[in-house]
Amino acid sequence: MIGPIISSGIVSPAWDNIFAVILGMGFGFALESSGFSSSRKIIGTFFGYDFVVVKVFFTAAIVASVGLLYLSYFGLVDYSQLYIQPTFLTSAIVGGIIMGIGFAMGGFCPGTSLAAIGVGRMDGLVFFGGMFIGVFAFSESFSLFENMFYSGSQGPKMINDVFGISPELFTFFLVLAAVGMFFGAAWVQKKVKKVEY
Amino acid sequence: MERKYTILAILMIVLALGLVVLPKKKEMKETDPKALLSAVVEKSRYLSVDLVTHRIIENDPTLLLIDLRPVDQFKLFALPRAVNIQPDSLLTATTLALMNQAGKDKVLLSNSDLTSEKAWLIATRSSVTRIYVMKGGINEWFNTIIKEKPANSAASSTELDLISFRKAARQFFIGAGETASVPEKPKVKEKVQVIRKAPEASSGGGC
Amino acid sequence: MKKSKYDGSFYLNPYLGGVILGTVLLLSFYISGRGLGASGAVKNTVAATVNVVAPQHVEQSAYYCQFAGGDKEPMSNWLIYEVLGVLAGAFISGIIFNRLKLKVEHSPKITSRRRLIFALGGGVLFGFGTQLARGCTSGAALSGMAVLSFGGYITMIAIFGTAFIAAWVLRKNWI
Repeated sequence: MIGPIISSGIVSPAWDNIFAVILGMGFGFALESSGFSSSRKIIGTFFGYDFVVVKVFFTAAIVASVGLLYLSYFGLVDYSQLYIQPTFLTSAIVGGIIMGIGFAMGGFCPGTSLAAIGVGRMDGLVFFGGMFIGVFAFSESFSLFENMFYSGSQGPKMINDVFGISPELFTFFLVLAAVGMFFGAAWVQKKVKKVEY
Repeated sequence: MERKYTILAILMIVLALGLVVLPKKKEMKETDPKALLSAVVEKSRYLSVDLVTHRIIENDPTLLLIDLRPVDQFKLFALPRAVNIQPDSLLTATTLALMNQAGKDKVLLSNSDLTSEKAWLIATRSSVTRIYVMKGGINEWFNTIIKEKPANSAASSTELDLISFRKAARQFFIGAGETASVPEKPKVKEKVQVIRKAPEASSGGGC
Repeated sequence: MKKSKYDGSFYLNPYLGGVILGTVLLLSFYISGRGLGASGAVKNTVAATVNVVAPQHVEQSAYYCQFAGGDKEPMSNWLIYEVLGVLAGAFISGIIFNRLKLKVEHSPKITSRRRLIFALGGGVLFGFGTQLARGCTSGAALSGMAVLSFGGYITMIAIFGTAFIAAWVLRKNWI
């Protein structure tokens, strides 16, 4: 079967939501069992006592990137049908900075706060509730940010095109960088004083 | 512990390296330019509207009509069992799977020849075989089959045959006894099948 | 590393966790053509709520009307179902590894109250940022990286780069 199997019409769109629940469960399980329900474990990355975020995040990124390219190579996925986030440079950077501050304050990102709610962490629930306020505030003040929201538009641009190399070569460098980071993280973790949490 | 991770890291790097060194399939699948040139010069890709009409009426199972016109025009009027494919989605996997069906004659048609010719070239280059162009497109089809033309008194018997065939075809498409001076909806109207590039999930986009 | 499976402190090997997460992400692309996400569900819920409370407001707002109002159904959405799945998946993992417990997790040096205030503030900022950047760490950064989206990489670098600096500024809250 050529993926994505829903937009290619092999299974009916009614299955879409069932798959959504199943994939969400896999997502939630992976996050929680790796320790992403604990804000103190997540934030450990920034103080060097626990690099679980770096390890899980980049392992997932390289597994998915390499996997997608292999699926595409063997004709199992139509890469042109995948949803590629359009690039809006200014808003991506400014939004990323705001999220970074929120990350350091709250210790969660939206996905991990959901995992925290799933195991009963009240700080996760409060964080998630805060997001509603943030989204509402943005929507209400949209006219102030409208220009920024649409500026720097580059369409669904791929990062390998920025460097002028093939997707495969870029992914190869990505894997090298990730592996280097994993060994670096292990080295730093040995040097840093252990924090109990 | 360290050793296990080293092995895993090497495995991942080898997998990624595999992507880089694997030969590119797409380039192998493309038609050689010389073969393409001779195919372009060769005129056998054209099918006349009479021939196509004949095969429609005969319910020829090997015929696959690919209509390249915009969706609104297609919805307004289409030949029976034609599939609407937008030119921008010619190379999606869905379309290619459709066009690579064995034992089917793919006939491209648009309003005139221009779009069909372009699509024919692209499809041929992506190694689609048994692909044809309906000469003159829908306009020619309409002028030939639907518009009534009085028989010339000096017509030969083959021409008379053709005229009577067209008359029969006209009845097949619009019903007997009617004259078609304006483009009207044909009686034979099957379920409209439209293939378009999947819209980007912009509303659900984000995160 | 020798931690009991039953005292709630056992976690999967992070690389195994990463492979599972990456495989789920890969399946998501294979099945639906989309990556994983979380903040889109918040956006849709907010839009749906506002749509119920003040429909005219949605029609007028340049932002809401992109995904609510008219015949659009913001609640019937892939992301909402996915979020429900995430909650269920985390719950199952919590049962298996014995981590289900209602509590506020915080550094021993700060009070629960302070932790909750910062969590709320972080949530507000994160919610705001996701809308500006069109996605969060999972939707924009992780899923974006998987399909080599330029924007995904930029967002990822901006989030982690800023968080690194901000975490040091706020370190009294954590260590």
